[in-house]
Amino acid sequence: MLLEMRKIAVNYGKINAIRDISIAVPEGKIVTIIGGNGAGKTTTLRAMSGMVPIVAGEILFEGKRIDHLPAHKVVAHGIAHVPEGRRIFKDMTVEENLRTGAFLRRDKPEIERDLQQVYDRFPRLRERRVQRAQTMSGGEQQMLAIGRALMSKPRLLLMDEPSMGLAPVIVEEIARIIEEINAQGLSVVLVEQNAELALELAHHAYVLETGDTAMEGPAHELRGNEHVRAAYLGL
Amino acid sequence: MMELLAQTGLNAVYAASYISLVAVGLVLIFGVMGVVNFAHGELFMAGAYAVVALYADMHLPFFVAVPIGMLFVGMLGLLMEWGLFRPLKDNPLGGLVASIGFLMILQSLAVMGFGVRMEHIPPVTQEVWRITDKVGVPVARLYVIVAAVVLLSALWYFLKRTRFGWALRASAQDPEAAALQGISITQTARIAMFIGAALAGVAGALTAPLVSVNPHMGHSVIVTAFIVIIVGGVGSLEGAIVASVVYAFVHTFVTTFSDGVLADIVGLSLMLVVLIVKPTGLFGSADRA
Repeated sequence: MLLEMRKIAVNYGKINAIRDISIAVPEGKIVTIIGGNGAGKTTTLRAMSGMVPIVAGEILFEGKRIDHLPAHKVVAHGIAHVPEGRRIFKDMTVEENLRTGAFLRRDKPEIERDLQQVYDRFPRLRERRVQRAQTMSGGEQQMLAIGRALMSKPRLLLMDEPSMGLAPVIVEEIARIIEEINAQGLSVVLVEQNAELALELAHHAYVLETGDTAMEGPAHELRGNEHVRAAYLGL
Repeated sequence: MMELLAQTGLNAVYAASYISLVAVGLVLIFGVMGVVNFAHGELFMAGAYAVVALYADMHLPFFVAVPIGMLFVGMLGLLMEWGLFRPLKDNPLGGLVASIGFLMILQSLAVMGFGVRMEHIPPVTQEVWRITDKVGVPVARLYVIVAAVVLLSALWYFLKRTRFGWALRASAQDPEAAALQGISITQTARIAMFIGAALAGVAGALTAPLVSVNPHMGHSVIVTAFIVIIVGGVGSLEGAIVASVVYAFVHTFVTTFSDGVLADIVGLSLMLVVLIVKPTGLFGSADRA
């Protein structure tokens, strides 16, 4: 397993946000976490990247415990997090955003090469490289957020609601990009409200309900499950 | 008349230089740490007293005293970050209140160490750089202008061209997203605090022989700096520099052709007009405020 979460609990004040959640991410796969509002999807992802402290359980990445590390140290282990709402640096240019993604790296020639790769993958970012990030459309900002995460050269990409607020045609484009990135060997954890999209992309899926794991299994099996179809796919 | 205008213009450039050093530091600290540093005027004062101690009392060369003063005040900044702002960072008003307390401590230390009277500092140089017979800049003022241009250019280069500069700007815009890029927010806060304090310190150190040095000299400096950063747009470094220049010219010209009290009134009115016409300041954007 690339990443293993074992019996994790996170509290916000006295409130139990998630409890007893276990998630395993195999190397090279896309794992999705779906569920309704307040089910604990984002909290689970934030626990993985060290953004919220866990009160129980452990998180292992490549066999090493990372659950005691602050967020800025988790990145160094090879986990990049594309946060909900993109959270790009609005007053910085596109290229400054991307280079900030490589903050911890010192391998200059490879950084330049990876930058060109990001531009090849997202030609619109190259066109806008000296433009302030704020001036871009939602889809372009999402691409920038993904590109910024890729610049840290991660082995695991955490994505929180990448389809949120985007037009269907852009969502298709983002989905294709996620598949492409994964095909090149990067493992992905995808948190999505759009369960249909998530189950189509993922190999394995977890369904969270009020802070607990309600179901888990291969994505194609969950797509056929009665409960999932009724509650999350609207079928 | 032309000569008087030119001379007043040069005086304004000098004023703009030290005001922008102080204001830029204040903006940098506010941007990265979200703290309004009320003790910023006292950091300026501490820089001036470093020159009193090292240059006037211990007779070290002026250009040895100034960099030591700058580093010393930078260290005071680190002390504030570690002792006040970091422990209080979850309290929205904590940093502000603590900085007011620190201001009083610094003032009291200056009184205890040096007394309340005005310090006499021997002039560094009496030379005047003459442009025409009647227009010129005292070389001691020229030092301040050169230092401001060099240091602010260096800061600009640091912020726009280096990875730690990007890290600082990223932390100012979105600390959580910055942490996700591997940036330690504690470290960027420390850097911002050191630079911001050191800029105030060097301004105080360089102007010490030119102004009246006393424990309460920080007061007028901080008021001016607040006007400038509000006019420029809170959080905008470019705005702080432009507004420093505008304010210094207005203030210096009104002082020269009328009097200093009227100049203060005009300066404050300028701030009110900007706030009415463009509430975010000249360079401010709504999402930064």
